Amino acid sequence: MNQKKAKRAPIHITLADIERAYKKVDEFQRLIERGKTPEQIFKDMLRLIEIDK
Amino acid sequence: MISNFLQIILDVASNLKITTVIIGGLALPAYNVARTTLDIDICIKIKSQKQLNLFIEALKEKEINTNQHPKIDHDLFTVFGKRSEAEIWLKPCDAFQWDEQMVEKIQLFFGDVYVIAVEDYILTKLARSDRSSIDIDDILKIIIANKDTLDWKYFHFRLNWADLKSDFIKIIKAFELDFNNNIRNISSDILDKFKNSF
Repeated sequence: MNQKKAKRAPIHITLADIERAYKKVDEFQRLIERGKTPEQIFKDMLRLIEIDK
Repeated sequence: MISNFLQIILDVASNLKITTVIIGGLALPAYNVARTTLDIDICIKIKSQKQLNLFIEALKEKEINTNQHPKIDHDLFTVFGKRSEAEIWLKPCDAFQWDEQMVEKIQLFFGDVYVIAVEDYILTKLARSDRSSIDIDDILKIIIANKDTLDWKYFHFRLNWADLKSDFIKIIKAFELDFNNNIRNISSDILDKFKNSF
């Protein structure tokens, strides 16, 4: 493998990080349950990027 | 219909038979996760400098330009349209190149939008030289959202391949914090799935 030896930020995860990750996954699932598709969420994200630019 | 800018890039790549995937934060919905992002990151698999030059020329004809002089051994270059810009990566991550297995595992998201396999996507987050806390947060969310569909054996192979197993163990161990505090079944399940992939 052609891998660069790089210095990456150390990994430090707290319980709050895990809790937040679960919450964000739940939020995504709720969007899906309400009828949004991952495709629509992708398009919404893309629209926001373009507005920002 | 996706944005005209992105569609033009995908069409130009497709006409030249260039394998193209969406990477970075914008690809997250393909893995059942979302967050705001400011970047459009596209990764192409280029076979030669000639093919790369043809791609850049074809984009130019569609009024999508770059100020750089991309070479096949570069990591990425930026292209600009009238209202948008995107980073075009020549490898899935600055830390590693494309390989055939990675290409074979590319999956269709929708329409003509493709993404790399979830296991390879996690690797791009874990391996990048400027890895940040956002990447670690993304990895946590992706693991939670995909624990039942993740090919843990393949992922394990990739972790060894990229020499990132010890980094990932630090991430997976964080689920023990949750398990010890909340006895949440999902965290326990994730820990078991990782252990069983050895």
